[in-house]
Amino acid sequence: MKTQELVEMLARRAGPVAPRAVQRRLAGAALAGLIAATIVIVAGPGVNPQLGAMGVPLIQKLAYIGALVLAAGWLTDRASRPGAPSAAAAASVVGVVLAMAGLACATLISAPAGQAGSLVLGSSWSTCPWGIALLSLPALGLLLWAVRTLAPSSGRVAGFAAGLLAGALGALAYSLYCTETSPAFVLVWYSVGALLSALAGAAIGSRVLKW
Amino acid sequence: MVTAAREIFLPVRNQTAPSFELEQGHVNDDLESRLRGLWVRAQSGDEAAYRSALTLAATRLRGYFLRRMRTQPDDVEDLVQETLLTIHLQRATYDPALPVTAWLHAIARHKFIDYLRRHGRSAALHDPIDDVHETLLPVVEHDFTARRDIGKLLDLLPAEQRQAILDTKIEGLSVAEAAARSGASESAVKVRVHRGLQRLAAWLRSEA
Repeated sequence: MKTQELVEMLARRAGPVAPRAVQRRLAGAALAGLIAATIVIVAGPGVNPQLGAMGVPLIQKLAYIGALVLAAGWLTDRASRPGAPSAAAAASVVGVVLAMAGLACATLISAPAGQAGSLVLGSSWSTCPWGIALLSLPALGLLLWAVRTLAPSSGRVAGFAAGLLAGALGALAYSLYCTETSPAFVLVWYSVGALLSALAGAAIGSRVLKW
Repeated sequence: MVTAAREIFLPVRNQTAPSFELEQGHVNDDLESRLRGLWVRAQSGDEAAYRSALTLAATRLRGYFLRRMRTQPDDVEDLVQETLLTIHLQRATYDPALPVTAWLHAIARHKFIDYLRRHGRSAALHDPIDDVHETLLPVVEHDFTARRDIGKLLDLLPAEQRQAILDTKIEGLSVAEAAARSGASESAVKVRVHRGLQRLAAWLRSEA
């Protein structure tokens, strides 16, 4: 087939491109992954009964995770499009973490002497990151599947971004169960959990995100 | 025709070239201004604009690959067609806020690097890019036929996908007409066309 014939063929009845197709594909995968993780929490360890009474710490926690979801989602979108610069999106991820670090430092500085350790470690530091990483798996699989239909310039970077987004979604589901209230705990261990998912995403992405 | 050929064969090092350098992807270059309007209309479903945009892209891609594949000129048209197919399949990943050329260049670059990986990059590195004067290059008049024939690959597709592509993209039936003919829903026809083209692209990539 001559190239001009191929051009004619591709153009014929091509139809319009659905607006925001990339965002919708990623959002669909993210939402499905979040629902799956939430079902796991509700059916498994159960929702923290004191969740409603947690107040400000819960709001801080959800604000951090929510901002991380948005920033990582933006980064995944950028990384899935050929030629789209991703520096601003990457900076937004760093900015979200730094903002939470500021809040964590403020609470540590104003805490009574000798309490800093328990504010960072809480009572569940050794299980929290693993719980988040496990809960991120459904979203990780679905998001990698979605990114695979797109055109990431670097499979590793796009996989990392998708993994970070999946990790933030896993953290969101985990926060239903978690009883920790310290911003320092959330900053360190929630972020470590999301990072585990991001590293898994980068490792898988470099292999499977080919086009 | 002569000027067109010269334009295609402009060397990378010639920065005075008034026209397009795909690798720069600048908003203000000539191709961007020509392609931008076409592309926006194509994205909203203007078939004629899409045809013009792809034709323009094909010419530029041919130049881009030719400059980089002097020792494998026979592979150029294959790569042009594979890249065009990818451009079509990835239309949704174009962000209207960014230059079309930046998007096209990233796809062309990705396809070229992928080609090098598949063929071993040593061959390409031996290209004496700077030693060959442009006028010494044989500019053969031909009709840009790839060695791998997409028309023949079409026959190898699963029957439903092949029929959906023949109905809509060769015969030019509307999706509704193709759906009525095949007894499938309109969305099923669209999916079959897309999957079929995806499979063709995968074959082109693996058989190269």
